Amino acid sequence: MNLWESVRVALDGIMANKLRSFLTTLGIIIGIAAVITVVAIGQGGRAVIMGEFEKIGTNIYMVWVDWRADDPPTGREIQKEDAAIIKRLSPAVSYLAPVNTAIRPVKGSEDQKSARLIGTTADYIHIRNLEIIRGRFLTAQDDNGCRRVAVVDEELARELYGKTDPIGQKLMIRNTPLVVVGLLKSEKSMFSFGTSKPVYIPISTWQYVFHNYYISQLEGKAVSREEVPLAVEQTLKILERRHNTEGRYQSVTLEDEMESANKVTGILTLIISAVAGISLLVGGIGVMNIMLVSVTERVREIGIRMALGARRRDILMQFLVEAVMLCLLGGLVGIVLGVGGAYLVAKLAHWPPLVSWGTVAIAVLFSAVIGIFFGIYPANKAARMNPIEALRRE
Amino acid sequence: MIKTAGLTKIYQTSSVAVHALRGVSIEVKKGEFVSIMGPSGSGKSTLMNLLGCLDKPSGGTYTLDGTDVSNLSEDELAAIRNRKIGFVFQTFNLLPRLTALRNVELPMLYAGVEPEERYTRAKTALERVGLANRLHHYPNQLSGGQNQRVAIARALVNNPAVILADEPTGNLDTLSGEEIMAVFQELNAEGATIVLVTHEREIAEHTQRVLTLRDGLLQRDEQIKDPLNAKEILQQLRNKAGDRE
Repeated sequence: MNLWESVRVALDGIMANKLRSFLTTLGIIIGIAAVITVVAIGQGGRAVIMGEFEKIGTNIYMVWVDWRADDPPTGREIQKEDAAIIKRLSPAVSYLAPVNTAIRPVKGSEDQKSARLIGTTADYIHIRNLEIIRGRFLTAQDDNGCRRVAVVDEELARELYGKTDPIGQKLMIRNTPLVVVGLLKSEKSMFSFGTSKPVYIPISTWQYVFHNYYISQLEGKAVSREEVPLAVEQTLKILERRHNTEGRYQSVTLEDEMESANKVTGILTLIISAVAGISLLVGGIGVMNIMLVSVTERVREIGIRMALGARRRDILMQFLVEAVMLCLLGGLVGIVLGVGGAYLVAKLAHWPPLVSWGTVAIAVLFSAVIGIFFGIYPANKAARMNPIEALRRE
Repeated sequence: MIKTAGLTKIYQTSSVAVHALRGVSIEVKKGEFVSIMGPSGSGKSTLMNLLGCLDKPSGGTYTLDGTDVSNLSEDELAAIRNRKIGFVFQTFNLLPRLTALRNVELPMLYAGVEPEERYTRAKTALERVGLANRLHHYPNQLSGGQNQRVAIARALVNNPAVILADEPTGNLDTLSGEEIMAVFQELNAEGATIVLVTHEREIAEHTQRVLTLRDGLLQRDEQIKDPLNAKEILQQLRNKAGDRE
């Protein structure tokens, strides 16, 4: 008897007990559907996170003083001039800016709000791909002259000044008045959710306002994604040499951040997949259970088939194929539900519906394996029957 | 066609050995219609299982259609059952989920016959037993006599060397039983070798020769000089029924 005949015989068996077959495969259906949906959600979510990283720019990096080093920091490890010198010496670095950050209340003509005060230089707009709506960003002259100027996030500006045009208006930080010279488009990023909106001022002005002359970090942009490691290496090397230190600085690249984000989503996917895998295991045991019942119910059929010339391996194949077909049918229903679920979630979350067809293929394969694994015992039981006794059974 | 020599079968239960057959030597020639009789416990079921290659003898030899089958492997026995033996059982033993046609196709399924040929052969076999218009009926839509004819069609579809019928009329009323015997006599007239197990003397007298078993031994081997003709009996039965109306 060839495989196609076995499949037909198996389908007869499955169709004879439709409800029972359906209930039997429910575990498989849920397991497969869960795996496919979860993996698709994981991939969709990751695509969104990666998209955010791409928006920021994948070739940026940061360098700061390692606070955990043995010597306490002096506050002089990074100098404003370092940025310009490194940029000039390293061909891999296209932009480099000192960055200090503080959350402080700022006061406009209408209201007072908490803002993220960022002291930096003109390069910063290129590093972070910021977008000026009106006015201008910080310039080298602003920094050299320690000018009291500020570039404000447009939404923050609306809160601070209401309907008044913010350009040229006064902005109070601590007791220092500054003039708004530019408006920036608000960053719509999942990472900026809930944080204070930014106000950019020259690094020299920042140091003046806070009476603090240390620089907490350098943010840079390499000429390309491939050059990021070299840019980081050279930045660190020049810093170490200029300040005559060793192992004093730490760095991170967006690449590193992406990797750890990937790792997190990967772990989550793995955990939920493991849960789904347990569901598949339970489903497989259910299939084995029903196949055992089926074999007991069909002892006479087995006897008849043997009398008509079925070999033991024909009987084995019949029940094994039936178990595999059960699991495959369950798998197919699970795939339909899983893909449907993935699309539904993607629609609700505004994600790309990233159904991994590799996962679907694995799901099909896995359900067949479950069928074979849990079908072999009942099928073997059927094949080992004595035809005379099987025929005598009512 | 069938030849056994000193066939024995011992069933080993936990405490005692049961000698079901104590050395049976019989011979059935090609084209013969033989019945095996005997009270229960005489060993006729055991002999039937051995003749049907469902079981292996404990001793002696069994030659079927020129092949010694006493020491074949299970797979070889399955092949012999498939090609050389056609079973007809008391309880029909059709698969309830399959139509008459597909029930008849079953032995060919295990013989590896192609689907188209299977269909034509099954159809021809069913026509031969007078069920041309019942091809797609399920067993529960057919009468007992019709089911038994489906079973006979199934038994002869692979052109077996011998048809083994185990109490084929046991579950049927007299009329249906007689119809089944008529089918057997017709097949026999066309050259089929048939061995029939029964405990009814009247059924046995439809055959040409009666072998009687007792306590695991062949007790009698008698020729029936003038076997009952099932067709004539059927005619009489029908006339009687007609008279009553």
